[in-house]
Amino acid sequence: METENILELQKLTKAFGDLIAVDNVDFELQAGEIHAILGENGAGKSTLMNLIYGLHQPSGGNIRIFGKSKVFKSPRDAIASGIGMVHQHFMLIENLTVAENIALTVAQFSSKDGNTDSIESGTESPPEENGIPSKLSTFRYKKSDAIRLTEALSNRFGLAVDPSVLVRTLSVGLKQRVEILKALAVDARILILDEPTAVLSPQEVTGFFKILRALQADNRSIIFISHKMKEVLEISDRITVLRHGKKVYHGKTGELSAPGLAREMLGEELSEVERKENKATTDLVLNVSGLTVPGSRNENAVLDVSIQAYRGEIVGIAGVDGNGQRELAEAIMGLRPITSGAVEILGRQPSGTKNIRKCGVGYIPEDRRTMGIITSFSIADNLMLNITHFEHLAKRGVISQKAKNRASTQLINTYDIRPSSANIPASALSGGNQQKIVLAREISPQPELLIAVNPTRGLDVNAAQYVHQNLFAQRDRKKSVLLISTELDEVLQMSDRLYVMSRGRLIEATAHRDNIEALGLLMTGETDE
Amino acid sequence: MNKFTALYQKAKSVCISILKKILSFFVWILTPILILVAALYQKVKPVCVRILKKILSFFLWILAPVLILTSAFITNGIIIFLFGYNPIEAYAAAIGITFGSVSAVSETLVRSTPFLMTGLSVAIAFRCGMWNIGAEGQFLMGVLAATWFGTKIAILFPNTSWIAVPLCLSFAILAGGIWGIIPAILKVTRGVNEVISTIMLNYIAIHFVSLMIDGGPLQETSKTGPQSDPIAEWVFLPRLFESHRIHLGTGLAVILAIVLTYVLFRTTFGYQLRAVGEGAAAAEAAGISISHNTLRVFFISGALAGLGGAIEIMALVPHRLTENFSPDYGYTAIAVALLAKLHPLMTVATALLFGALAKGSFAMEAEVGISRQVTLMMQAIILLFVIGASAVKFFRKRTL
Repeated sequence: METENILELQKLTKAFGDLIAVDNVDFELQAGEIHAILGENGAGKSTLMNLIYGLHQPSGGNIRIFGKSKVFKSPRDAIASGIGMVHQHFMLIENLTVAENIALTVAQFSSKDGNTDSIESGTESPPEENGIPSKLSTFRYKKSDAIRLTEALSNRFGLAVDPSVLVRTLSVGLKQRVEILKALAVDARILILDEPTAVLSPQEVTGFFKILRALQADNRSIIFISHKMKEVLEISDRITVLRHGKKVYHGKTGELSAPGLAREMLGEELSEVERKENKATTDLVLNVSGLTVPGSRNENAVLDVSIQAYRGEIVGIAGVDGNGQRELAEAIMGLRPITSGAVEILGRQPSGTKNIRKCGVGYIPEDRRTMGIITSFSIADNLMLNITHFEHLAKRGVISQKAKNRASTQLINTYDIRPSSANIPASALSGGNQQKIVLAREISPQPELLIAVNPTRGLDVNAAQYVHQNLFAQRDRKKSVLLISTELDEVLQMSDRLYVMSRGRLIEATAHRDNIEALGLLMTGETDE
Repeated sequence: MNKFTALYQKAKSVCISILKKILSFFVWILTPILILVAALYQKVKPVCVRILKKILSFFLWILAPVLILTSAFITNGIIIFLFGYNPIEAYAAAIGITFGSVSAVSETLVRSTPFLMTGLSVAIAFRCGMWNIGAEGQFLMGVLAATWFGTKIAILFPNTSWIAVPLCLSFAILAGGIWGIIPAILKVTRGVNEVISTIMLNYIAIHFVSLMIDGGPLQETSKTGPQSDPIAEWVFLPRLFESHRIHLGTGLAVILAIVLTYVLFRTTFGYQLRAVGEGAAAAEAAGISISHNTLRVFFISGALAGLGGAIEIMALVPHRLTENFSPDYGYTAIAVALLAKLHPLMTVATALLFGALAKGSFAMEAEVGISRQVTLMMQAIILLFVIGASAVKFFRKRTL
C-alpha cells in the first residue's frame, strides 16, 4: 500500500465559545485505508468530521487534501474536493426514487465548472464508461439517463439497489447503500461514515463490511467513526482515539487490544472524590419492573428493564448515548407509552406526568432546549415550568406576581444564573445557564425522586461540582436520585449503585466499578463473549 | 399698508417674546436637570438606559405594524391612482366616514365588534399552538343558536330581557363552544390535524345554516325568502347611548379582551396555554396535559366566536339570520389576531382597523365612486401585507 497522504489535518482546533471541542488534532489519512476514529460521546469525533466536511470552519490549524491546503466554506466545497459523508441520519429525499436521489446530487456537482477540476486534481477524472453518462443535464431530467447512471454505479461497486424504487420503501441498510452511492456518484475519494453500523443488524453489518472492502480495493479512503470496539478491530487499518477533543492514541489496528482501547477512550485517571458511606435504606422509592418501551423506530428501545431506587441513595446508569436511557427516563416520567411492565413510585402507580410529578418526582430531561425549557419564555416563567411549582405560586388559579418574583430572584441568585434579570427570554442565555434554570427548578423543591439525565452537560467545572453537591445533598436528605449519564466519570463518582445500559438492556455493574476495562466492554455491548 | 406693517411688527415681537420665554424656560429648568443628571451620571445611567430601552422596544413593537400599514396604504394609493381616482380624496372620504364624527366613530366600533370577537377567538387558540381556522363556523353556530332561541324559545319568557338576553348569549356560547370542541376531540383522540377539520366544519356550518333558513325549521313564517324571522324584541341587546348604534356587545367584547389578557398572563390556566403553544414538549415534561388544554382552549375559542355571532344578531337591525350573514369574519379574524401578535389587547386595535377598513371602503365606493371590486382588492392587499410580515416573523422565531 502506498503511503501517500490523501488527507492531512494539522493542529486542527475548533472552539465553541469557551468550549474547545477539537484541540490541536493531527490526523492523516492514506489512500485506500480504513481509518477508525474511536471516542466517547462529546469526545469531538463529530465536530472533527464536520470540520473536514465543511459544516464547521476550524478556529485554527490546517486541512490539506492531496497536499494542498484547503478552506471549506460549506459542504459544497468539501464535496467538490472529493469528500463524501454518510451521516448517522440519512440525508435522502424519501419520496423520490433511488435514481432521482442520485441524479439530484450529480446534477448539482457536474454542472458547476471548476468543481470537476478540483476533483481531478490528484486523481484521474471519472472515466466515461461505455456510453454511460457520468454527467447529467442540470436543466432537463432524463429518467433513463439517471437510471443507467445509477445502475452503472451499483455494478461498479457491487452495491445492488433497484434504481426505480422509492427511497421510503427501502430498508435502513439499503438506504445507507444509496447514501454511499450518492457520495460515489460525485466520485468521492474520501468517505466519512458516521456511526454507520448503529442502524444495521448483524447480518447487514457483514454485508456492509464487504462493501467497505470493495471501496478500499478501489483505492478510496474511509474514515470510520464508531464506538463499537469489535467492529473497529475487524474492519480498520489504523485507529485514532479521541478524548475530550484531544488525540490520545494513534496506531495500527491490533497494536492495542479491546480493553486497552477502552482505557484510552475513557481515560485512566479517575478523579478520587470523597464518598460518604452509603446511607441507603430499605425504603423503596422507585420500583420499575419488567419495563419494555418502544422507541421511535418501532424497535424496543428499552427491553425488560427492572430497577429499584431506595431512599438515601444515588443509582447511576452509565452507557453510550442512544442505548435507551432517554426512553427509560421518559417512560418513568409518563411521557412515553409502555409496552409492558410497571413503574411504581412510593408504592403508587400514578398515571400521567402530572400525577407522577405530584408524587414528588423531579426530572432533568436530556433534551434541554425542547424539553427542559421554553426558549421564548422569560427566565422567571421557565423557573416555574413545573406543575407543582406554578400551582404552588397561585391562589385560586391566579399566579401571585410577588411570589413568582421572589421565587425566581432567589433561584437566580442561588444557582448563579446569568444574566440575572428575570424577565429576559431564556433564548438569550448560554446553554450552561439554560441548564441551570432546569437544575434550579427541579432540584430546589427537593423531590422525593430526582431523575437526572446528563445533568452536567454543557456546564463548566464549578457549576458541575455544584450540581454534584446538590445531588449528594438530596441523598443525604434521604431522597432518591436516578442519575443517567453518558459521562462515566460522573456516574462512577456519584452513584451508590451502578448500572450500565446497552442496547435497551440494563446490566448491574456495581461490582465492576473499579474495573474500567470491564465497564467499557459492557458499555460497548461486548457482554456476550 | 401701515396697518399691516404694524400688525407684522406686533406679531414679530410676540413671537420673539414667546421664543425668549421658551429659551429661558429651557435655560432655567433644563440646565439644573442636566447638571443634576451629569452629577449623578453613574447612578442615573442604568435608569436612563432602562427607560430608553423600554421606549425603544415599545417603538420597535409598534413600528412593525405601522410600517406594514403605511406600505400597504401607499400601494393602495397607487392602485387608486391607476384606476383614475384621486387617492387623497378617496382616503379623505374614508377617514371622514370612519372617524369624522361621533356617530361615525360609533358606527366604526359597531363594525369592529365581530372582528374583535372572532379575532379574540383566533388569538387565544393560536396562543396555545392550536391552528383553529374554524372561527367562521363557530361564529355561525352561535348565530344559529341565538336565532333559534330568539325566535322559538324566547316566547316562553315574554318581555323579560334580564333573563332572555343572558340565556340567549349562553346558548350561543355553548353552541360555538361545542362546535369548537369537535376538532379538539378529533385531534386529541385520533390525531386529526385541526386545520383540516376546522375548515371542513366551517363548510358544514355554512350549509347547515342555509338549510335551516331555506326551507328548514328556522325559515320566516311567511316562507318568502331564505331568512329567519326577526328575533323577539326582548332579546335585543341594548344600546349604550340612545342616539348611537354602539351597543352592549361592543363593551362586552372590549371587557373580554381585557379579561383574556389577564387570564393569559396572570393565571395558571393562561400560563399552561402559553406553555403548550410555545413549547409543547417542555410543557408536557412539566406535567401540563396537552390534550386537556387542547380541549379547553378550543371550547373557549369556539365560545368567543359563537358569542360574537349572537351579539351581531341581537344588536343589529334586521335582527334576523340571513344567508351570507358573515362576510368571512372568521377568516378575516386570522389576520386580525396575527396583526395583533396574538395579544388580546392589541386585538382591540387591529379589530378597529378592520372595522374602519370595511367602513372606509364603503365610503370610497359611495363618495368617490371607486368600484367594489377595487376596494375589496385594496382590503386584500392590506391583508397580504399583514400576513406576509407575520410570516416573516414566525420564520425568524423558528430559526432562532
